[in-house]
Amino acid sequence: MAESILMRVSELVKHYGEVRAVDGVSFDVPDAAVFTLLGPNGAGKTTTLEILEGIRDPDSGEIEIFGRRLRRVDRATKQRMGVLLQEGNFEPYLKVREVIRLFASFFESSRSVDEILDRIALADKAGTYVKNLSGGQRQRLAIGAALVNDPELVFLDEPTTGLDPQARRNVWSVVSDLRSTGVAIVMTTHYMEEAEALSDHVCIMDHGKLIAEGSPRELSATLGQETIIEFNADGATEEDLAPLDTRCKAVRAEGDLVTVETEDLVATMESLLAWSKRQKTALSDMAVRQPNLEDVFLALTGRRLRE
Amino acid sequence: MIDVLLVARTHLVTALRERVTLFWFLIFPVFLLVLLSLIFGQIGQEGEITFTVTLVDFDRGSEGPFAGVIAGVFENLAEPDTAGGDPLFNLIRPDAADDLNAFLDAELVALRRGRRAAVVAIPAGYGRTIERRLFASSEDAEGEVELALYASEGNASSDMAIEVIDQVLAGVDREILTGAGLFDSSESVPHVTARIGSPEGEPRYVDFLLPGIVLMGFFTNGLFGIPGAILFSREQRVLQRYWVTPLSVPRYLAGLSIGHLTLCAFQFALLYLIGRLALGASVTFGGYGPALLLVLAAVTFMAFGFLIASLAKTGNAGMAVANILNMPMMFLSGLFFSVTGLPGVLRVLFYVNPVSYLADGLRASVGVEAGVFPMSLVIGVPLAWIALSSAVTAWRLRWDVGR
Amino acid sequence: MNAFLALVRSETATFVRDKMAVFFTFLFPLIFILIFGFLMGDVDSPSATLGLYGAVTIDEASLRSVIDESGVNRTRSFGSEGELEDAVAGRSVDFGLVWNGRALEFLYHPNRIQENHAFEQLALGIADAFNLRRQGLSPILPIRTVHVGSEASTRWLNQMVPGIIAFSILSSGLFAISGHLTGMKQRKTLDRLIVTPMQPVAFLAAIAVVRLAVVYVSTLLTILISIAVFDLTFSIDWLRLTVLVLCSTLGMMGLGTVIALVVRRPSSAGNVANILAMIMMFLSGIYFPIEFMPPFLRALSRGLPLTYMADAMRFATGVSDMSVVRFWAIALSLLGLAVVLFPILAGYVVRPQRT
Repeated sequence: MAESILMRVSELVKHYGEVRAVDGVSFDVPDAAVFTLLGPNGAGKTTTLEILEGIRDPDSGEIEIFGRRLRRVDRATKQRMGVLLQEGNFEPYLKVREVIRLFASFFESSRSVDEILDRIALADKAGTYVKNLSGGQRQRLAIGAALVNDPELVFLDEPTTGLDPQARRNVWSVVSDLRSTGVAIVMTTHYMEEAEALSDHVCIMDHGKLIAEGSPRELSATLGQETIIEFNADGATEEDLAPLDTRCKAVRAEGDLVTVETEDLVATMESLLAWSKRQKTALSDMAVRQPNLEDVFLALTGRRLRE
Repeated sequence: MIDVLLVARTHLVTALRERVTLFWFLIFPVFLLVLLSLIFGQIGQEGEITFTVTLVDFDRGSEGPFAGVIAGVFENLAEPDTAGGDPLFNLIRPDAADDLNAFLDAELVALRRGRRAAVVAIPAGYGRTIERRLFASSEDAEGEVELALYASEGNASSDMAIEVIDQVLAGVDREILTGAGLFDSSESVPHVTARIGSPEGEPRYVDFLLPGIVLMGFFTNGLFGIPGAILFSREQRVLQRYWVTPLSVPRYLAGLSIGHLTLCAFQFALLYLIGRLALGASVTFGGYGPALLLVLAAVTFMAFGFLIASLAKTGNAGMAVANILNMPMMFLSGLFFSVTGLPGVLRVLFYVNPVSYLADGLRASVGVEAGVFPMSLVIGVPLAWIALSSAVTAWRLRWDVGR
Repeated sequence: MNAFLALVRSETATFVRDKMAVFFTFLFPLIFILIFGFLMGDVDSPSATLGLYGAVTIDEASLRSVIDESGVNRTRSFGSEGELEDAVAGRSVDFGLVWNGRALEFLYHPNRIQENHAFEQLALGIADAFNLRRQGLSPILPIRTVHVGSEASTRWLNQMVPGIIAFSILSSGLFAISGHLTGMKQRKTLDRLIVTPMQPVAFLAAIAVVRLAVVYVSTLLTILISIAVFDLTFSIDWLRLTVLVLCSTLGMMGLGTVIALVVRRPSSAGNVANILAMIMMFLSGIYFPIEFMPPFLRALSRGLPLTYMADAMRFATGVSDMSVVRFWAIALSLLGLAVVLFPILAGYVVRPQRT
């Protein structure tokens, strides 16, 4: 199955004085897929995206988009793109319908206002002023503005940051619907669950560099046949935990939370149970799971995605 | 094209929906127009005001043909007129048993405190003095007493009352002289009042005021509305949402300008209708001259707004600059008060201020007064400001908060 | 006690660092007075230049002598009526006099509405005196006019400055609550304070103290500069001035409280306060004498606190007179406004801000 590449980014660099916000980033974005840049705050995800959206100039690097080589994204390209910025507002005294209509007029061709409103589930709020919308509704409106021209490529910068779980779920369903209609989506997030749930392809970024890429499954598989065991050990010290080392790959303690990485689940479980009996410490809130992207990041950088 | 028009519509609609903007741009100029017309329309209408005046006649009860003549005149004027209208004076007199000196002192205090418009004290022997002056061939100044007219200078109704009383007493003068056979009123030369230079007859103050208020409306709109729209939209990152679409900056500016000029048109229409229908203005803005100047004014002030937007970093700073410039530019332009006799620095500001030329030119072009500035300056100075503002805006205005 | 002082410190710092607040409190009244002072400088003793044409055919000597004795400062003669009309139109003479064979015709510029009134009075005087003089007569009634007010009250600017000061106090007091405090509520800064043991009373007292100090300094500054630049006269009763500043500032803070309570959205309170202040400024007799307004506006004016504040300020600075009882009534009413609303304001502070 030949994937067509919609956008190719080569050696993108952007620095601010001494700081290299984007440090030689390269990736390919395939058609009809969700492509995610995952990383902690300050990793350079938004800066990268803003360069691709045409509102920031790169210091060096090349962008090939819709088959054209560009240094900077131009107006013709913008006709075929949709952008959801990380931060932004609409005129507070415009009605929802008026916002969509305004943005539709910026493009040569666009969907009807009603279609868009249905798509983002704001049809019943068509006559409401922006200033009276909730945070989740505003985000859906912003997504609507990004979809108004039926784009082939959509950028979503941190689409669910700051939203409550219900709103987040609403956005996720819009994104999956979008993907199923054949649109390519480039997304940034620092939420591991989001990356795992939505993405076909993930690039992990840290300090301006790409440190890993692949599908969520592939990335998790880099940790091998690992299993992760987490539990709460009230007041256990390093010394207390030392005996566990022998049967597993790694043991980490952060406060009361202990994380054990092991390739031999059964042996480790046995030694854990024995340890708990000896220590007279209960293994409370224990969870056994497959490694996820958070663990991958941890393994690569020694830090968590969320500080 | 539709994108430009929708941007224009957005600007217009948001301005009208925000109650604060609505007040300052539409309601406040109307308020000012109505208030100033009502107030300044009253000057010269003393006939409709009743003055509270105290009369203390120390000469009462004395003999002679002229004792009580003054008092009599005042009492007459304190009666409602034949048409049943209000009398000219509300007269305060002492009771028969009052000590006149104490009464006078108390009334003077009341005058000082603004509760009386004037106090007239007729001294004892005044009737005699009049007699002597009429019939004595030489000036027999001994024993001559003066009528004391007490006023509170600087108090508007007191000043007006004094003028009225002066006229009343002048009338009494003539009556006495006529009665004594000395003055022949048929020999009197009448006097008339005429206004020059206005073909439609007596112009009203509102005709003079209306062009000024319209300009003030355009001015506040440009000074506050444009920087507000640009700076706050930029700060709130509303503009950023536009720049990731194909909408270009020039098209956005075109839309903003059209929206702004439409708002000015609304202001003009509202003020014009109220001026003509409610306040009786007779001035029309028909013809190329007034129309051209109105458009020029709207564009000049809009350019000024862009100038401020490009020099201020935040919305609040822009509003601050606008507030600082607002008053001096409006008042030092002859918009409301004539500006003769300004000292050095302020005079320079007057000549630099584009509003001065536009106000003068607009009034001249609607026929309300002969202009002071030649047309070349009336058009030239605002154009120079437009050019300057455009240059600075093109050079300095930033469309993104951070690139 | 410590909390109160700390709050005073922080309120002072906040005020001083807010350049707009500093500008509006101190500079705004000064700019106003400077502009008006220079613009209307000669309104107290306007000069009048009279243009003449055709006086020869009537008793010119009498006419000339009557004109000389009137308030006209200068006369100019013209060779034709057209020239005279041009001079009036071009404002090189203030009004004109033409003998048209039947009557004395006085010519005026149609737009000099405010000034024409004074010229018309002069014209009337000239016409009356002329008719008497032609018949060899002069007015029979000896009259003298006595001005009873202070010397200061004769100058228009002298009367206006206390009004401007009163307005400045109004704004400061009003915005201390509807603007400053409501802004803190809106930004939820207030919420952060009230979850501490800080007493709302201490907080409000701190705001009041800082405002009072600022307003008092501004008042003194304005008075000083008016005297220095325009040579105005004030005879200040310091007790009355201090009391008035105190009571008006607090009273206007009370009024600001009313606005904050009625206008439920904190962000709108400042705008509403602005609008009210502006309307009050025009209708309270500071710029236009109340007597000139139509009856319903006059009635409205008598309902505005600024009208009374301006009156009382003129009294306290020795510009005009009022009964001492009335002064204290005004001061105490303003204070009463503050006292009554203070506990309500404390409640407003404590109520947490819900969206």
